Amino acid sequence: MIITPQELQQWKDEGKSFTVIDLRPAEQREEFPLDGLRSVIAELGSIPITESESVLICQFGIVTEGIIIERELKNAFSLLGGVQAWNAYQSEKEDLSRWSRQTVLPNIGLEGQKKLLNATVGVVGMGGLGCPASQSLIAAGIGKLKIIDGDNVELSNLHRQPLYGVEDIGRMKVQAAKEKLEKLNRDAIVEIVDVFINDDNGLNFISDVDIVIDATDNIPARLLVDRFSKEAGVPMVYGGLYRYEGQVAILNANGRSGYSELFPEPPSVGGTCSDAGVLGMLPGIIGNIQALETVKLIVGIKPNLVGKLLMYDGMSHTAQTIEL
Amino acid sequence: MIQVKVKCFSHVKYALETDELELELERETTTTRLDKLIREKAKGKLDGVSLRVAVNQKYVPEETVLGDGDEVALIPPVQGG
Repeated sequence: MIITPQELQQWKDEGKSFTVIDLRPAEQREEFPLDGLRSVIAELGSIPITESESVLICQFGIVTEGIIIERELKNAFSLLGGVQAWNAYQSEKEDLSRWSRQTVLPNIGLEGQKKLLNATVGVVGMGGLGCPASQSLIAAGIGKLKIIDGDNVELSNLHRQPLYGVEDIGRMKVQAAKEKLEKLNRDAIVEIVDVFINDDNGLNFISDVDIVIDATDNIPARLLVDRFSKEAGVPMVYGGLYRYEGQVAILNANGRSGYSELFPEPPSVGGTCSDAGVLGMLPGIIGNIQALETVKLIVGIKPNLVGKLLMYDGMSHTAQTIEL
Repeated sequence: MIQVKVKCFSHVKYALETDELELELERETTTTRLDKLIREKAKGKLDGVSLRVAVNQKYVPEETVLGDGDEVALIPPVQGG
């Protein structure tokens, strides 16, 4: 069983009887003392079993969760996110344990999570790329998402746009997406603009976001995102698809190339998903790579795709990176 | 003569029905000349498709001279999303 820092605080406040058992090695206990909880120190091989409920504690909440399942311990709870999440909760009374599986990553940690919670990301286009990208970003704890699209949900969208169901057909995509995204994280803010990006609204949409995701489905729209990304000085995470292949690049970051430098001559022929065809998994993969690069950029994780074009082939599962 | 490996992406792959070509070219052949040769091979299927060229995983300007053993990537812009 699992208990969050918030629930444990509630037990404490209610005066409930329970034992806290700290299973960490001495060095960890000295370096990261447990804030405001009395605990019994024990080793993994000799966990004291008590009549009342026990809360097992380790540094990140991973070891204790495994022990409880493995040994089928009754009346024992694992503290989600461990001492790291508990101490953070004590200092700010903000429960970050929900993201314990990503804060345990050494280059994210609680500091990285706070950056994500304070970040605003814009997503232009809520189709095949925009759906998976925004879903993953909201799940990762992005504090505010701005989404823009003037389209309605159609039956032919459903195989690749997992935020929508049959009951959404005919509704504005941004409205249906907002409802689904807010269910995923009630604390996140999802702001919607229910028209297509254009000359009049583009700069206003992009100027107050930290990063803009280009999830559009045509070159003129990509060029608009590129132009306003340059004007606002906001990095653009580009994604594009052709049949079984996808491209991702971080453009206009730190004075690096933009879309118009990447492809100075737009094609005069088709290649949209409706005329070239696409399997739903491909935008799922590419949209998630865009979300991954967005998170890395916000947290400051390198290497990333700044100044590089990634080309992924879903047939051979090969990827190639080109320096721009 | 020089040997180059040409990697074909997106539209180029479907136009030439292969994802890789080994070509023997005259010395001093440029990327612009190669672009023209590829379009000839595609027999009109690449009309209206612009291509960016990378040599050895790096974008290069037009008229870059190719060397023996170079790996050339032909990259069209893609619209879908």
